[in-house]
Amino acid sequence: MLDAETQRLLHDLRNPLNSISINAELGKLTLERTGDIQRAIHIFDIILNECRNCSNKLNDIKNTPRKFGEEGVG
Amino acid sequence: MADVLLVDDDRNFLNATAELLGLLGHSVKAVDSVADARELIGKHQFTHMILDLILPDGSGLHLLEALPAKSDTKITLITGHPSVKSIVKNLYGSNVSYLIKPIDLSQLQSLFVEHQPVAGVNHSTIPLHFNFLVGESEPMQHLYEMIERVSLTRANVLLLGESGVGKEMVAAAIHYASKVDGEFVATNCGAFSRELINSELFGHEKGAFTGASHRKIGVFEQANKGTLFLDEITEMPLDLQPNLLRVLETKKVTRLGGVTPIDVEGRVVSATNRTELEIAEQHRLREDLYFRLAVFPIHIPPLRSRRSDIPLLVQYFLSVFNQQYDSNISISEESLQKLMEYDWPGNVRELRHAVHRAFIMADPQKKLIVLPNDLTSPFSKISQQHAAGISVGKTVEEVERELIEITLQHFDGDKKQTADMLGISLKTLYNRLNSYADA
Repeated sequence: MLDAETQRLLHDLRNPLNSISINAELGKLTLERTGDIQRAIHIFDIILNECRNCSNKLNDIKNTPRKFGEEGVG
Repeated sequence: MADVLLVDDDRNFLNATAELLGLLGHSVKAVDSVADARELIGKHQFTHMILDLILPDGSGLHLLEALPAKSDTKITLITGHPSVKSIVKNLYGSNVSYLIKPIDLSQLQSLFVEHQPVAGVNHSTIPLHFNFLVGESEPMQHLYEMIERVSLTRANVLLLGESGVGKEMVAAAIHYASKVDGEFVATNCGAFSRELINSELFGHEKGAFTGASHRKIGVFEQANKGTLFLDEITEMPLDLQPNLLRVLETKKVTRLGGVTPIDVEGRVVSATNRTELEIAEQHRLREDLYFRLAVFPIHIPPLRSRRSDIPLLVQYFLSVFNQQYDSNISISEESLQKLMEYDWPGNVRELRHAVHRAFIMADPQKKLIVLPNDLTSPFSKISQQHAAGISVGKTVEEVERELIEITLQHFDGDKKQTADMLGISLKTLYNRLNSYADA
């Protein structure tokens, strides 16, 4: 079983994932419907930034001390 | 097109979702707090609200309490965990839907597909045909058969009928029966200036003309894979019709100021209250456009030719108003008889307004609607006067009687002035009027 803090950190991962998902959909639709390359590049930058955000959050989970003094997850 | 309020404190998600919904043709207001959302709810009625469950200054659920009772706004909660779904469902019932993070386009689109049938929930016991139409008379059975047949094809439809017969309802019924993926989008070709018609139909790019500060998606794109309803098609200027014809022929649309043609498919249902003869005689539509639009013409019957549907329509409208005003008003046999005897030149629209007015005037003790003494509208009086006069097929007696009645009406019943104007003696006028009373 995961402890409450790890569960919270895992739950927090959904926010950047959510932003990645919706921005990827926006990028697709922007290119399909408007062909606006500059706008698409800006959207991909947001996605890359959110990927870094995800990576940081995963590191947080890895470095969270587990109950009973266990090593971090992973 | 839906009118959406989006509330989420994640700016990247909020901005992207607002832009995405805008590209899909919806109107969106996006805010990041309960307080801002509450302010907007007070000013405007949204068709949809998409709410984050946890916001910095409270919960999205607080906003549900801010909505007026019996609000038609469709609520969607964004949640990170499916388990929240069952908890909230117990609290707020099944009227609330959910999006589980991470959200994708198909999840978002599913929120609006369900909303397309504009008529929505049928609160009455009166059966709705194709979710929109009321009536069991023979002319309506014929109409249902036409809708059934055309729904199996992709043919464009031209709806013909008098003002107020329910052309948009029939268009929505065709969309409903066709079970297509895209949306039902309605626009009125008579409501736009010459300059704006092309932008409304085909959209424009940012900077395409002075004042084009944003890109606009036209109705053809909005209705892609769905149904586009073009009301008052015969009011579209003749010289602009070739643009419409081109889109119908090529199934491609290019936004004003744009260069890339965009594929569009779907059905065009157009409508007019002019007759086919008038369209041709007065050159209201180019012939080539007429044949593109009227692959399948459907005539919608006037209400006077289906009087047996009046009780059903009245019951349906009463159930809608009772639901809306949370009351229990009905109609007496006598009032219903009066409604059945009237000609309804303004058709179902006029009937609905008459029932609404009578509902507002209802006797609170008897819980019955109260009709005015005279049902006729000023518009129907004008048309009656226009109908009067000499035409082939009328007898001399009929024309004489019309002339006497109109003149009498003109002088507010003053028989002396009427007789003077008509150049007959007062005695002759009385004799005539007595003979009409005996007839």
